[in-house]
Amino acid sequence: MSGWEGFLHGLSVSLQPGVLIYCVLGVVLGTFVGVLPGIGAMATISLLLPITYYLSPEAALIMLAGVYYGSQYGGAVASILLRLPGTPQSAVTTLDGYPLAQQGRAGVALFTSMTSSFLGSFFGIFVLILLSGALSRAATAFGSADYAAMMLLGLVAASTIGAKHPAKGFAMVVLGLVLGTVGSDVNSGVQRFTFGQTELMDGVNLVALAMGLFGVAEVISNIHIAERTGVPPRIKLRELLPSRAELRRIPFPALRGASLGSFFGALPGTGSTISSFLAYAVERRVSRHPEKFGKGAIEGVAGPEAANNAAAISAFVPTLTLGIPGDPIMALMLGALVIHGVQPGPLMLEARPDMFWGLIASFGIGNLLLLVLNLPLIGIWVSMLRIPFRWLYPAILIFVCLGVYSVRGSTFDIFAVALIGAIGYALSLARFNPALLLLGFVLGPLIETNLRRALLISRGDPIVFLQRPIAAAFVLAIVALLAMSIVQTLRRRRAQSAKSTT
Amino acid sequence: MKHDIHDLAGGALLAAVGLFVALYAVEQYEIGSLRRMGPGFFPAVLGGVLALLGLIIALPAWARIGQWERIAWKEAAAVLAAILVFAAGLERAGLVTMTLVSVLIATSAAPDRRIGWRLVLALCVATLSVAVFHFGLKMTVPLWPGQA
Repeated sequence: MSGWEGFLHGLSVSLQPGVLIYCVLGVVLGTFVGVLPGIGAMATISLLLPITYYLSPEAALIMLAGVYYGSQYGGAVASILLRLPGTPQSAVTTLDGYPLAQQGRAGVALFTSMTSSFLGSFFGIFVLILLSGALSRAATAFGSADYAAMMLLGLVAASTIGAKHPAKGFAMVVLGLVLGTVGSDVNSGVQRFTFGQTELMDGVNLVALAMGLFGVAEVISNIHIAERTGVPPRIKLRELLPSRAELRRIPFPALRGASLGSFFGALPGTGSTISSFLAYAVERRVSRHPEKFGKGAIEGVAGPEAANNAAAISAFVPTLTLGIPGDPIMALMLGALVIHGVQPGPLMLEARPDMFWGLIASFGIGNLLLLVLNLPLIGIWVSMLRIPFRWLYPAILIFVCLGVYSVRGSTFDIFAVALIGAIGYALSLARFNPALLLLGFVLGPLIETNLRRALLISRGDPIVFLQRPIAAAFVLAIVALLAMSIVQTLRRRRAQSAKSTT
Repeated sequence: MKHDIHDLAGGALLAAVGLFVALYAVEQYEIGSLRRMGPGFFPAVLGGVLALLGLIIALPAWARIGQWERIAWKEAAAVLAAILVFAAGLERAGLVTMTLVSVLIATSAAPDRRIGWRLVLALCVATLSVAVFHFGLKMTVPLWPGQA
């Protein structure tokens, strides 16, 4: 099936009422949690995981994906109006969005962010269609060694690129890998680290882990913070419309951001947050008036917003074609697929065309919905910002408990959520990133299996990782990344000690 | 504050966890060879790496000056207590009872501690959770005490 036939086929899947409704539900819920600071896409997707047990795999994935890219639209609202990023991806949008709002141009900033997000998403969809077919074909040549090396590269990239403390990020990844080994060993059937608990035989429950780390821990740290939101201004529909001069300043930054975002989104380890920062830097560099940035430049909203949406879409490329999630949200998506007995990978395109193309087509539908719903309804979303967090978090907690209980009717899992939540809060206090733990946890079993298989085939000779050209390229990239981050850390440390002695 | 306590404690804890994992794996599970890895091989390596990373994080933190993060003790206690109580009581006292109790516990950490809105919220959440989980998802869980 070629790209366009596939897309059309996908439309026939995702326009079925039973699927479409979950697409709508996903994007509306995504916008909602994106608008609200204090609860993000990660927490929401964890919260919805158990509910997807009751849905078809297509509907489940389409809904979860809708939450993800929907939250990218919503995230800009609080960034622009309150200088409070609703999602980490929209943090950059505060830089020029908030000054615009203070000049009374909040409506224009919102319009810019919504339309750029839309442009970025569609750009991402094109890239996804273009790349996925080719990559799926190429990936059939991948052996175990290549897979293992590539996943390792993903983990190293995620913990080092753009990180202040690569060692802390990497430690989280390794802790996740360790947690991933809990349960029955696939090869020998030996129970590892179960300490006699039968509940642990299938491993640590992904739903409990995700809910504890993102649901509970985030509630604890946000009860206080989220109360300090200011009062958002009222936005009238007419204020949304930009002048013609302003309108002209949107498309090119958005396209630049979109291409940047779709490139970095598809790479393992670099996600939408990094893309939006890069897009901002690029816009300031190419602008003829760099001094206007930070004081309300439309380009500073358009570029990053297009970038993070394009990246959110193209992040599905490695997840769907290789079965390797590039960032923690994709890891959660992959987990959701595995829950439904679908193993993403190069064969998915052939084996599950409904799911593959249905999902891609739903991106198109969902983004169109987001644009036509969110612009007219912007007043409603803005008024959501008046909801105090204290009305929401008790409901989140109860839904976490019931959700995790519904998976297999065991209160053990609720106790586990409390424990993981406490650990997650402690980790965030000490500025460790629990999202990386989840990435390691999901990839761990895959890495171990492929590593063992690769070494079995090579009769225990690790040189196999350098002999296969694909694996060797990944190993080289890993070494380069590690060397880079060590040099950077040492340089920073020297700079710090120089500062403290003078 | 003398040392960067976050990295010091975090790193030390991770190092301890890593050491335990590595030793436990070596002790309890078969390591095997590179060619035929036993169930202990991967965890043992991971434990070793984690211990090393823990040290890399903790050691420089000793010489660095850090700042205390404000720990939200009250909020953490209320949230965790709400979950634990919910887990302990769910199958005996039922969904409705436990939702009411847990919401009241969880909201005790909210900035506004008056009882009125907390009761209203508890009733709303209870209604919502019965609607979604009992009627919507048809989950088998007692709603009231003594139904199990």
